[in-house]
Amino acid sequence: MPAPARTRDLRLDFFRGVALVFIFVDHIPENILSYFTLQAVGFYDAAEVFIFISGFTAALVYGQRLVAKGALYATAQIWRRAWQLYVAHVFLFVIFIGEVSYTVMTFNNPMYNEEMRVADFLVHPHIAVIKALLLEFQPTFLDILPLYILMMLIFPAILVSIRRRPLLVVAASFLLYLAVQILGLSVPAYPEGATWYFNPMAWQFLFIAGAVLGQGAARGVALPVLSRALMPVAIVVLLAAMVVRLSWTIAGVWDGFPTLLLKELWPVDKTDLSPIRLVPFLATVVLVAAWVKPDAAFLQTRAARPLVRAGAQSLEVFCLGIVLSALGHFILAEYASGLAMQVAVNVVGIGAMLLTARMLDWYKAMDRAPAPRPAMVTRPGRGDEAPL
Amino acid sequence: MRLAVLAFVALIGVPLGAAADEPAECGVPAELGQIGVSLPHLATRLHDKDPVTIVAIGGASTAGAAAGSPDLSYPARLRDALAADFPKSTIRVVNKGVPRQSAQQQLERFPSDVIAEDPVLVIWETGTVDAVHDIQIDDFAGALQHGIDELRNRAIDIVLVDMQFSHSTAAMIDFQRYLSTLHRVGELDGIYVFPRFAMMRYWSEQNVFNFDGVAAGERAKLAARVYDCIGRRMARAIRQAIP
Repeated sequence: MPAPARTRDLRLDFFRGVALVFIFVDHIPENILSYFTLQAVGFYDAAEVFIFISGFTAALVYGQRLVAKGALYATAQIWRRAWQLYVAHVFLFVIFIGEVSYTVMTFNNPMYNEEMRVADFLVHPHIAVIKALLLEFQPTFLDILPLYILMMLIFPAILVSIRRRPLLVVAASFLLYLAVQILGLSVPAYPEGATWYFNPMAWQFLFIAGAVLGQGAARGVALPVLSRALMPVAIVVLLAAMVVRLSWTIAGVWDGFPTLLLKELWPVDKTDLSPIRLVPFLATVVLVAAWVKPDAAFLQTRAARPLVRAGAQSLEVFCLGIVLSALGHFILAEYASGLAMQVAVNVVGIGAMLLTARMLDWYKAMDRAPAPRPAMVTRPGRGDEAPL
Repeated sequence: MRLAVLAFVALIGVPLGAAADEPAECGVPAELGQIGVSLPHLATRLHDKDPVTIVAIGGASTAGAAAGSPDLSYPARLRDALAADFPKSTIRVVNKGVPRQSAQQQLERFPSDVIAEDPVLVIWETGTVDAVHDIQIDDFAGALQHGIDELRNRAIDIVLVDMQFSHSTAAMIDFQRYLSTLHRVGELDGIYVFPRFAMMRYWSEQNVFNFDGVAAGERAKLAARVYDCIGRRMARAIRQAIP
């Protein structure tokens, strides 16, 4: 009954790596490269990819641990991961405070004094810090980790239930998503009147849908059968979405280019994961699952490897990307925003992310490798001792 | 006019002289001075030499606080410029700038501050507070659309005004989504969005107006000069929209 040791599905790492790079690029306002990310051609963006794959991977990884070592151990592992995410969130928050405090100190423009009270929270730091610790205060860039943390907190219950009644879980999750769309439910945040930027009651559907499919994949459930039936629909949906969205993007560059359905569809709601985002994304999932095989040759190429590594070290690379995009934004706004500078910021930022992934990969591999022991202390018969 | 084009223009900065009747420092690239729409109701009034009431509703930069006096705000400067251009109409510009309000809060002031004045043109300066407070884009776009519909139903012309530009704030706040939303709403509804952000960025990049290292006492004067340029620029745009 224990699952055979699976080889890692490189597609998950690869696409998550791509999503991390896109998140970095999209987080820099007015970045020329953002014309070439998902959001320019699809109604959804890298956030959907990131959350979906995170759900999928979580079900694969912790599903195996649950089988191997029981639900209690799996729960402890999942919450340990949630804790790591939480620590990362607090770390990013401290960097954010540093950045804002610095800017406020050097701030010197009377035209804005009245309205630019971004640093309002510095007036009541005790409240802001507590609200940040409670995940209620979500300044720009610090909005997706709270969603991920919350998902991991409830994931043990999800994992156990999707093993028994996957369809029931998906149905319940979808009903909650529908309720958000119809009733406009939202989760309050700080300051007064704000809401969670990624409404967890809507976005949970992507995470759980990913988890159920991941669970299915772990059991070898014949997804291809389902996706073959859906393929024609998915192709039509995706093509239509791409044509419409691309017309908006092109119109943003060339005046007078016709914008299809702009009046009817725009703005597309991200907070509540509008169906206009969700449906094309699910269509993409169907098509990628059908067309990109886990053993696809390109995943093994030298060109793909840095992205695969970035996806495999997603938490560290994500955090680094957030810090770097804030820094890139700052540099472009403060010093120069010319084309050369934009390209430089992108190249340096993405390069740093990929190199960091490589370094982590190497470090963890070294960590796992059995350490050569000095001959004197070698005592045969003793197993591996855990480092302190 | 598309935002990306505006941003690009501000970046490459085609140098361009100011008109004869305005200070050289107010000059902007030609692309930033173009207006693609007409203001039919205002045009009729001016054509008939009837009195004209314009309401400028917005935030602190409409009120003109940084310059130290409402007379130095851009609506006041706009009025003077328009009065010179259309001497036969009595032109009144009512300043309804209130700091720190979102588009929705400004919209709620419409009945008392805008409609009650019976204007023929409303200049709506908005979006700053929405960006600062990270208000949902949908809500921002919705408030804009509401306000536009309300004014249109009453046969009132509209000019939207986008945010101010400053280096330090741009580094801290992501104005981009709100800027493009404002411009897109304008585009969809055929309403002129006065490109204040791109203009101020141009001035900043050309070092025409720079607040760095300016003594506190001098800052109000500098702010007044910026408001003056904004008012003059807006008057020029409005003149173009009057056939």
